[in-house]
Amino acid sequence: MTAATGTTRYATTVTKVGEMVPAFVEKGMLIFFGENAPAELHDMSVLHRPDVADGGLAVGDLLILDDDEFPILAVGHVANDNLVNLGHIDLKFNGETTPPLGGDVCLPKEVPPTLKPGSTFRVVGPAPKNTANTEIKEIP
Amino acid sequence: MPDYKAVTVSKGRGGWGGPLVIKPTDDKPLIYSVTGGGIHPVAQRIADLTGGQPFDGFKGSAPFDKIAVAVIDCGGTARIGVYPMKKVLTVDIHATSPSGPLASFINEQNFVSGVSADDIVEGA
Repeated sequence: MTAATGTTRYATTVTKVGEMVPAFVEKGMLIFFGENAPAELHDMSVLHRPDVADGGLAVGDLLILDDDEFPILAVGHVANDNLVNLGHIDLKFNGETTPPLGGDVCLPKEVPPTLKPGSTFRVVGPAPKNTANTEIKEIP
Repeated sequence: MPDYKAVTVSKGRGGWGGPLVIKPTDDKPLIYSVTGGGIHPVAQRIADLTGGQPFDGFKGSAPFDKIAVAVIDCGGTARIGVYPMKKVLTVDIHATSPSGPLASFINEQNFVSGVSADDIVEGA
């Protein structure tokens, strides 16, 4: 549980679960969008209203859905931008360590939890190190 | 009444599909940007060249039959298939190929990806 006390990168509360979400859960997939997403995306999505939307998700962070914790195994190259800008993330419970798609955030291969309005979604990174005077140096 | 013009949108580096000819009409005037950070520059350029009306999908809702083209910044799962499924021409700024649960709706006649402003030229 050490990571759960680290930097909160994202924290949000589910406001609505679309009708098609259970079909995606069966395929090991959860799609989130901020609740201001256009209507055509609502059926397939878990809609939510974030409290913390800093982003910066990275491999090794912990994703926490209600009381279930999942280590993040891979982060696609557009996943953070989509999350910060649109509240959008594609969670793939596929066990992959390289993201098949640019928007993917990959988690261990298991059945995604059932979410409902009021469910919580958090991503927590490692506790910040004391890096105030540390410069990033190139490795020769 | 605006005088609408056509543009041709070709796939960019690493992209897939197209080229698509986009020409808004009085019935389908909207250049629908479903992207982070407001109207995406690709959507703005299509609007500027065609005379279409830019529309931010995260600030309002538009009926599909009013949309000349949807511009998305999709990573390959959700939006990539939603607009093709609804028979809306779709431009993804990311270099995606058909994927996601709605991949079967995506084809080279309704989708083009990897698009930057340089991939949009005047004319059909």
